Amino acid sequence: MRRLRAVALAAVALVLASCAKRDDVTQITVQRIFGECRSAGTGARNPDGECEIITGLLDQFQRENPDIRLKVNIAAWPGYDQLSAQFAAGDPPDLVTMHMSAISDYQSRGLIEPMGPGLESVGVDPAAFTRAAREGVTKNGQVWGLPFDNWAPLWHINLNQFRQAGLVKNGQPILPTSADDLLAQARQFRAATGKPYLVQAMANETASYTRNLYTWLMTQDAAFFPDPKHIKLTTPEAHRIVALFKQMYDENLTTKDQDYPAATSGFMNGDGGVYLVGTWMIGTFEAEAHTPGRPLSGGYAVVPYPRLFGTRDAAFVDGHAWVVPSRERTPAQRAAVYRLVKFLADHDYDWSRTGHLPAMQAVIDSPRFKALPHRQAIAPLATIGQTLPPQVQRQFAIQDIIGDEMASAITGRKPIDTALADAERRVNDLLFHLL
Amino acid sequence: MTAASPRKSRWTNGLFVGPYLLVYLALLLYPLLAGVWLSLHKADLFGGEAFVGIENFSRLLRDTVFLQAVRNTFLFVLLTVPPLAVIALGLAIALNRPTRAAAVFRGVFFSSSVLSVTIVTLIWRLVLIPDGGLIANLLHAVGQPPLPLLSHPNLVLPAIALTTVWWCLGLPMMLYLAALQQVPAELYEAAALDRAGPWKTLTRITLPSIRRTIVLVVIIQCVLQFQLFGQAQLLTQGGPNGASRPIVLFIYEVGFRRWDIGYAAAASEILFGLILVATILQYVTTRDKAASR
Amino acid sequence: MSALDRAAGRNRWIDRLGWAALTLAAVVMVLPLLWTVGLSLKANGELLRDTASVFRMPYTLENYGSILARPAVFRWLANSLVVSLCTTAGVLVLSSLAGYGFARLEFPGRKWLFALVLFGLAVPEQSVIITRHQLFSALHLHNTYPGLVLPGLAAPFGVFLMTQYFKAIPAELDEAAMLDGASRRQVFWKVLLPLTLPAQATLGIFTFLSSWNDYWWPLISATRSEMFTLTVGVASSQINFAQTSGLGFLMAQAVFASAPILVVYVFFQKYIVRAVSGAAVR
Repeated sequence: MRRLRAVALAAVALVLASCAKRDDVTQITVQRIFGECRSAGTGARNPDGECEIITGLLDQFQRENPDIRLKVNIAAWPGYDQLSAQFAAGDPPDLVTMHMSAISDYQSRGLIEPMGPGLESVGVDPAAFTRAAREGVTKNGQVWGLPFDNWAPLWHINLNQFRQAGLVKNGQPILPTSADDLLAQARQFRAATGKPYLVQAMANETASYTRNLYTWLMTQDAAFFPDPKHIKLTTPEAHRIVALFKQMYDENLTTKDQDYPAATSGFMNGDGGVYLVGTWMIGTFEAEAHTPGRPLSGGYAVVPYPRLFGTRDAAFVDGHAWVVPSRERTPAQRAAVYRLVKFLADHDYDWSRTGHLPAMQAVIDSPRFKALPHRQAIAPLATIGQTLPPQVQRQFAIQDIIGDEMASAITGRKPIDTALADAERRVNDLLFHLL
Repeated sequence: MTAASPRKSRWTNGLFVGPYLLVYLALLLYPLLAGVWLSLHKADLFGGEAFVGIENFSRLLRDTVFLQAVRNTFLFVLLTVPPLAVIALGLAIALNRPTRAAAVFRGVFFSSSVLSVTIVTLIWRLVLIPDGGLIANLLHAVGQPPLPLLSHPNLVLPAIALTTVWWCLGLPMMLYLAALQQVPAELYEAAALDRAGPWKTLTRITLPSIRRTIVLVVIIQCVLQFQLFGQAQLLTQGGPNGASRPIVLFIYEVGFRRWDIGYAAAASEILFGLILVATILQYVTTRDKAASR
Repeated sequence: MSALDRAAGRNRWIDRLGWAALTLAAVVMVLPLLWTVGLSLKANGELLRDTASVFRMPYTLENYGSILARPAVFRWLANSLVVSLCTTAGVLVLSSLAGYGFARLEFPGRKWLFALVLFGLAVPEQSVIITRHQLFSALHLHNTYPGLVLPGLAAPFGVFLMTQYFKAIPAELDEAAMLDGASRRQVFWKVLLPLTLPAQATLGIFTFLSSWNDYWWPLISATRSEMFTLTVGVASSQINFAQTSGLGFLMAQAVFASAPILVVYVFFQKYIVRAVSGAAVR
């Protein structure tokens, strides 16, 4: 029993100790995604990875602002389970990363605060944001977040294998211009290299399927959200896209059964020609291209999705933003939050090294950004980039449903039209039942 | 009269059970009743609710995703409980001896039980994935292609079940061992005198003697495996297309991703009902048998 | 060869077969663990290329060094310890008191209340978790130690076990002690409680393990990384993209996180087995 009492005492002491650390330093909590990458070893890590850059930035802010104590919470991607639980508990962080596509969910419940006055107080002018970034954080005429970047899914290309397949001309990859064209080139690629043309994360994955669908629905000008409460997927436009991926799957022109980590390392290990993944991997793959003796050595290119369907150039884009949850704060804490916001806005260039499009127009126009590798190739995203209608709520849940059903269709477990009808019904049911 | 007679009913005696009852009422019974109430409402995680009667329940019965989750859960229980009950029993019988080797083996088979679900899934993801996983590497060594254990709808539940059996084997084995040690040695001596073979000894002496423990193990495992969550959430997130989504993951997603907590509460009540019925059924059937003995 | 010899020979043969099967099963059991340890001893870059490199030299301790650079893991470990120990202590105290009360004392509504507790055995944790989360939000208990400990105290299993155990102790024992002039409290402390030690040990071990391994409740209640338990903390780095390059590190984290409890287990194995057997005396 005495031991028991000792344990209880120790516990109480621990609780008290953690409460007692109160001094003149203002403490704020920052919550972010992008993973954890503090490592004891040096060198091995990629300095242009998302995780390394954000870790470095927050460390730098902490060093330069000793009067603020930054508590950094690292949430698992996409971070909303944890955030929702925090909101429900009335204990959200002070500043948190949020996809632009998720802002309307939280803004519509009054869970985050408008940032206009705060931004003004530290001299960040929304007019300095790029068009896409500004639209992504603006709802009902107010600014709800500091845009950090825009990102889009891209075609990351192993030029070495493309060359082997005869798909390189003047140092540039030859890209398909239609679905049939893609199939022909993919077969040619397979015959020459023995590898699948596409590398895709297909297992334990929904986002990647859905982004493919969105992008090529957009190039076909399909109004798949006739209004924010309804989706329309039982269309020839959608059928066409899914049918192409199914064909690629059936003919073994894509890697199969890889999850996201496996597909990512698979592409770096030369599993196939084109990896469908977002802007955030550019820095990582570029580093790989500069490592001698690797499948990507001296042979990496990246481009926006080629227009296989339709007549319009378009690309589905989303973006990361920083938002301020509504909660009680002291004036000192509020000032600290916005000092950090200002710092992040000022370091948008550093963040863009990872491959994302900067959220600040001045950075996009700057020579140092243009000097980064591949930025010319993805520059069109700034003009052709398109989000879902901003009033559409639960975009992550919708993405999960569509991705699930597409996976069933592509792997042949459901007829394409059934899967699309199921997706449509499930999404509409979800939107209908929103309170 | 002193207070010493325990048989005398007085309310102060209730003080012994008071502290627990307080916690029990506040943290189990109240949430249970509040959950029933909530399930009759259309309610949002961030406030606002409206009474809708049994609408949530009728919606659940029409929800193919939920019905799939119910089917998955039953299938998972079928895939895990019998192997757990049987393998653990076999191990316990084999290891019920005082040798050093047996002790080492007991340690080996119990060791996985002390790992948390996160570690278990971390380990097993690297065993199961077709790209560079342990099983894929072993298959490769014998010239076989890898199996899509985490992405094929017919393989994913068995894969999670395998992980679970590996993880949960220790506790039932220990319970059996404990029961086996209570079987009087004279019974075995008598059997040896009768020249009963090992099979006969097993079916005539060992199994009947630990019947109650077998029932206990099955009930405990049923209740546990009905509540599958972590393995599915961490290994597959319920995929592909819901093929491994159990009821509890459904509740989690509806509650914390869709914020539709009335609906989630209704699903919770159904889970509660299922477990209640399963427990009562097993209890009643085994009691009848015990009575007829 | 006599019939007896033949039977003995057959038994020996079965025995050998049995040991072979056991050994095989043990290998299957241990293989994933060895695999994990192996992965944790490889450089991340090498694993990225080929996980089969585990079967070749060179090995490195670099990943374990990286853990030291991330003090968060130690905090999670400490949190898990505090939560599990407090839960275990609380369950033992509450269950012993309640078990004694239900088994030995008479008070109005005793049967009715015991039936109510028994009913709780059939209530799965998961089915009350949403409303419990709301309750704890209202009480501002999330991200606190009490918030992580309290739900574990409500489980009725301990009360059920202790009640059964107290009932199994002959009533003559306390009556004799009382005749000797011992008070009710002395009987409880000095006579009965020591007799329940095996049950206490069993209950303690199971409570500790289930609290240590709890996942869903800490996942939604401890949402700040300084309050993460080990389970939730490791899960948070597992789902993150860091996985791609940090496979060896993740595995080192898994080894590091399971090492303490495995060591405890190895040390106390004998007592754990004895405790479990002890509780089954009923």
